[in-house]
Amino acid sequence: MTGALLYLRLRSLQNLVLSRARRLRQPKYLVGAIVGAGYFYLVFFRHMLADPVPGSVPLRAAPVVPADLLPTINTFGALVLLVIAALCWILPDQRAGLTFSEAEIAFLFPAPLRRRTLIQYKLLSSQIGILFTALIFTLLSSRAPFLGGSALTRGIGWWFILATLNLHHLGASFVITRLMDRGVTPWRRRFAVLGLIALAAAGTLAWLWHDLRAPRLEDLADFHALGRYLQAMLTSGPLPWLLWPARFVLGPFFSTDPRSFVLALGPALAVFGAHWWWVLRSEVSFEDVSIAKSEKRAARIAAVREGNWRAARGAAKARPAPFRLGSTGRPELAFLWKNLLSTYPIFRPRVFALSALLLAGGCLWLARDPVYAVALRLMVAFALMLAAYTLFLGPQLARQDLRNDLLNTDILKTYPLRGWQVVLGELLTPVAILTALLWLMLLAAALSFPPRQAGWLTPELRLAVAAGLVPVIPLLCALQLLVPNAAALLFPAWAQSMRNRTERGIEVLGQRLIFVAGQFLVVLFALLPAALAAAAVIFLTQWLIGPAAAVGVATLAVLVILLAEIGCGLWWLGGRFERFDLSAELRP
Amino acid sequence: MIEVTGLTKRYGNFTAVRDLSFAVRPGEVLGLVGPNGAGKTTTLRCLAGIIPATAGTARIANHDITADPVAAKRALAFFPDEPRLFDYLTVRQHLAFVARIYGVASHEALAQPLLEELEIADKADQLPGELSRGMKQKLAIACGLLHSPSVMFFDEPLTGLDPLGIRRMKDSILKRARAGATIVLSSHLLHLLEEVCSHVLILKQGEKIADGTLADVSARFSNGETGVGLEEIFIRATSGTAT
Repeated sequence: MTGALLYLRLRSLQNLVLSRARRLRQPKYLVGAIVGAGYFYLVFFRHMLADPVPGSVPLRAAPVVPADLLPTINTFGALVLLVIAALCWILPDQRAGLTFSEAEIAFLFPAPLRRRTLIQYKLLSSQIGILFTALIFTLLSSRAPFLGGSALTRGIGWWFILATLNLHHLGASFVITRLMDRGVTPWRRRFAVLGLIALAAAGTLAWLWHDLRAPRLEDLADFHALGRYLQAMLTSGPLPWLLWPARFVLGPFFSTDPRSFVLALGPALAVFGAHWWWVLRSEVSFEDVSIAKSEKRAARIAAVREGNWRAARGAAKARPAPFRLGSTGRPELAFLWKNLLSTYPIFRPRVFALSALLLAGGCLWLARDPVYAVALRLMVAFALMLAAYTLFLGPQLARQDLRNDLLNTDILKTYPLRGWQVVLGELLTPVAILTALLWLMLLAAALSFPPRQAGWLTPELRLAVAAGLVPVIPLLCALQLLVPNAAALLFPAWAQSMRNRTERGIEVLGQRLIFVAGQFLVVLFALLPAALAAAAVIFLTQWLIGPAAAVGVATLAVLVILLAEIGCGLWWLGGRFERFDLSAELRP
Repeated sequence: MIEVTGLTKRYGNFTAVRDLSFAVRPGEVLGLVGPNGAGKTTTLRCLAGIIPATAGTARIANHDITADPVAAKRALAFFPDEPRLFDYLTVRQHLAFVARIYGVASHEALAQPLLEELEIADKADQLPGELSRGMKQKLAIACGLLHSPSVMFFDEPLTGLDPLGIRRMKDSILKRARAGATIVLSSHLLHLLEEVCSHVLILKQGEKIADGTLADVSARFSNGETGVGLEEIFIRATSGTAT
């Protein structure tokens, strides 16, 4: 029987790898894979693989944490593991349920298998995911050379940590199930566990209070002194005894040389083996919850594959309308109304109005006293940074447009509307959300700007720039949003595979990078005429009418150019939408 | 009124619908039948303006669906086999949205009787996720009927309905036809077509095999036998044993 289960797992893995390799024959995946591999090489492997030239300065950054702090880091790591383990006993409020796929439930649950065999199968299956996560964590921690050891020891160390935590979580859930079977409610169990933790903490603190002195100024002088003090605190009293299982698990990860690694393997294996034995011995009925979990998971995956993120996140809730939608009037506004309903209720006009009032009040209060000048400067820097982030990355995140409605195009196309009307309507919600956010940031920056920052930047000029940005911002957002919406209509299969978060792999990562870079380049190109026109107008007119008025005239020129570009984009995308046939586009 | 002339739809080298011509007058119910892959759904999607035809013309309520799609779509309603709803709009909000799209003035006065007729008035504030398959189907129908269309396309309208739901759906289709609507529906359930349709059009591999009233088509494929059911006619027509 074990052979059959092993066959199932290994064949599934083999077929997954083969299907991933086969899909590289499609250019969209091949290009994505090349870009993704390049990204991984540049970010992770370049430094790992580079042979240092004799005599040259190594590229790797100098260690930021001194070696004598390693034991303290180790102890803190053990504390973190202990907290995670405690949460496994506190948080769950449901019976144990191993996650099986629907096919596994259909084939394995009615099969003549012992429950223990199913648990064993699940434990072995989970190792694939754990190994992959350990690999990613190893790559990420390769950027922390101060930890010592090699990539191999760190990889094995990560595996020990993740696999033991996984087993602990499972074992705890089995015990919790048994307690629930005996009538122990989740809250009674939580009180008991928290009581035990409080008791242990109180005992430890009492010991430390008795044994250790309070920190003096010299203990806080530098990292080394602070590290020594903390280490002394963490290694006295009962705390080391409480932490020793967690320290054993962390041992291989924190090994700095082969000898210490080999020595650390034994205790780590002992903790892991004890957990394995504990889980296999804890036979509890998990089938009901597993079936329910699998159904939920299948529904979530189906929703994700259909591009329905809100359904994938869980049960949607009916929400009050963002504003009253009359029966007659511009039909495009119906899309704004509909798509606002699809997003968080925080994106409502009254919330933005209140935020603007609070922000303005706060900035003016800070501006009344020169003592807060630094805070105001920080506010300007923060607002501008956030604005840049919102402007360039916001369109990737605010997706309440055609990207979300792509699978509803059959219905949208039966509406008595021209294509450009549908596209415009669909764009309104993300434009409104991003515009409102950017206006808030503009308000914060304008009100916090120091009055005498630079001689040429007069209050009139600042006012002209801020006033000019107010109408330009929605157009900038619309222009930005046209690009990903165009991509969704031009490359729907690609857009769909990117949106599907169940799709993983280096090639999907590459596709996402290409999309972001592509959007950035297209928008830069589209902004070039407006930027050149604005520069030319300001250069030519400021001598005659002054800088503030020149900015006003330049704003008009920018508005005209951006409106023309957006109009052309909408007209072209509308035509594309009218000819769009999703069934043909997504045909394999 | 629906007038279709030479309708053709190609996907690359594959022809899904080839040179299809027919007409359906007000009050008539045309049943579109054919084996899987015959082109029924493609035909309906072309007629509803969802996908552009490669060649040919289709006039819906005297408006060319290609040349004047907005006017044609204002007169039609399309009901897909799987109700496509917006997950985050309640039943009532769906109707408000559709009313604005079609410009249905004072839609509340129309919506309430419609919800009551379809027996979903008590679900007005629920989201599609909270509705059964049949209820979702009813909501999709309510949305389609809100603007009082004169032409209706049903793609497999009985999928997922319980026996009572099937009965109600048949009654609803007949009621609209009697009120003067022009209706085309596709279905594999031939007994439904016998009960509801006044005309039938048989498609095979994108081509028209036969069309006309049920009696005409029966006569053509019955080989002189009496009492031959539509199922037998369908099998004879699509397996190439026509006389």
